[in-house]
Amino acid sequence: MTDFRRLTGTLLAAMGLILSAPQAFAQQPDRGDEPGLIADDSYQLDPEWQKQVVYYRTTEAPGTIIISTAERHLYLVQPGGRAIRYGIGVGRDGFQWQGLVNITNKKEWPDWTPPPEMIQRQPYLPRFMAGGPGNPLGARAMYLGTTVYRIHGTNRPDTIGTKVSSGCFRLVNNDVADLYDRVPIGTKVVIRQKPEL
Amino acid sequence: MMRTFRGGLLIGLAVAVLVAALAITYEFYDTRTLKRTVRRGEVLCGVNKGLPGFSIPDDKGNWTGFDVDFCRAVASAIFDDPNKAKFVPLDASERFKELQSRKVDILSRNSTWSMKRELDYDLYFPAVAYYDGEGFMVPRSRNKETSLDLADSKVCVQSGTTTLLNLADYFKANNMKYELVKFDKLEDVVKAYDTGKCDTLTADVSQLYALRLNLSKPGDHMILPDVISKEPLAPVVRQRDDDWMMIVKWTLYAMINAEELGVTSENIDEALKSKKPEVMRLVGTEGNYGEQLGLTKDWAVRIIRHVGNYGEMYERNIGEKSQLKIPRGMNQLWNAGGVQYAPPMR
Repeated sequence: MTDFRRLTGTLLAAMGLILSAPQAFAQQPDRGDEPGLIADDSYQLDPEWQKQVVYYRTTEAPGTIIISTAERHLYLVQPGGRAIRYGIGVGRDGFQWQGLVNITNKKEWPDWTPPPEMIQRQPYLPRFMAGGPGNPLGARAMYLGTTVYRIHGTNRPDTIGTKVSSGCFRLVNNDVADLYDRVPIGTKVVIRQKPEL
Repeated sequence: MMRTFRGGLLIGLAVAVLVAALAITYEFYDTRTLKRTVRRGEVLCGVNKGLPGFSIPDDKGNWTGFDVDFCRAVASAIFDDPNKAKFVPLDASERFKELQSRKVDILSRNSTWSMKRELDYDLYFPAVAYYDGEGFMVPRSRNKETSLDLADSKVCVQSGTTTLLNLADYFKANNMKYELVKFDKLEDVVKAYDTGKCDTLTADVSQLYALRLNLSKPGDHMILPDVISKEPLAPVVRQRDDDWMMIVKWTLYAMINAEELGVTSENIDEALKSKKPEVMRLVGTEGNYGEQLGLTKDWAVRIIRHVGNYGEMYERNIGEKSQLKIPRGMNQLWNAGGVQYAPPMR
């Protein structure tokens, strides 16, 4: 997981090109991160955030992931005008981004090395945390391009549907495991933000 | 002398009577709904007597719902006051005749837009407010993802409806066998499904979500995402009243465009300061579209401030924030997975 740090340099350049990078830096601690808390897998999501097959019309090919940060939904495009829709937690204001990336790596029960910017904002975070049920990255992680951002699980299912992260997209562990098994490395991921006034 | 005076008086009276008669006739036959509405000081909205999510009064007579809110949006555009919408509950059988005979200014009553209805009643459906269509509800335990997986199902349906005909066409076209379980009354259809006499229930999707609420275990049932028929629900106005038709049509389009541009009831004051041309035309800081409609510059601001954009109206009444929890589906914006599409305001 040292590649987190190694990638930070290239990340900044890459983000300038393809992403509208976070501009503001919130001072408040990240309410979504609670290292060590064991995920409550019996937590019942609101119907809006439960995994379901929905009507979805798009020109993107089946297998593509489309993330709508404004809606807090992740769509996995299916054939026949349908998509599997998952509820997600997204970046807090100033930590939302958009662009086109690919899944570049996949990890089960990933370790967590919070990137330096995150440590700077939230000095109380551990420098390293081994994968497991108390890890904020949860059961699975899918790496987005060369960024520090991931689609990952969570130990805080109650944060699904909210905007609390530092730019990552979180799903409950059951959902992230389901998605993980459906998408290979190389999967196209489109991240859409709400329009600006 | 006396004769000329009397003659003059008679002529004067005759003229006065004629003018009064003309004025009354004009008043009575004036087809311009906007003028009549403004003079009256309220919009008369024909609505459904009670359809959860779309239009339903509470015990104090306060109306809520998607159709109700759309009418409030029209009232807001004209009067800057959503409470200037007056709701007139109408039966399904009489609704088009009552609009035709000017009992209401607008019908906002879950009515399917069809060619025959426009022709038969001299009416006009300005724009689709909600794309409905026939769909299927199944127990989650059946583990179905699409309606093409429904071969050999036992389907509960109400007899004598187009729903039944669409069902037959759909299964035939896809070479799927099924068993029909028919009832005359909708409540019997639902009861049969709830007690397991069939494993599939078909009706319009909006109705399926409402019916699911009354099942013994709503959470154990799901509505498949597919829609097998076209039921575009739209407001209705009279033909040959273009000014009014334009107001109704662009009220809906302003709400859809507002959602697409990210303008909401919460950030409308921010939107007024926007320098983005599309936002400026919507909120009236550029152009004079409002005046051209016979309204004011800020007509769309009034709508959004009082009622919200299309998405807000949807979520509050029938979407995830409501009891019904109907996913946006086809009614999502065209660039976010659905087919809701408004022409540009330029």
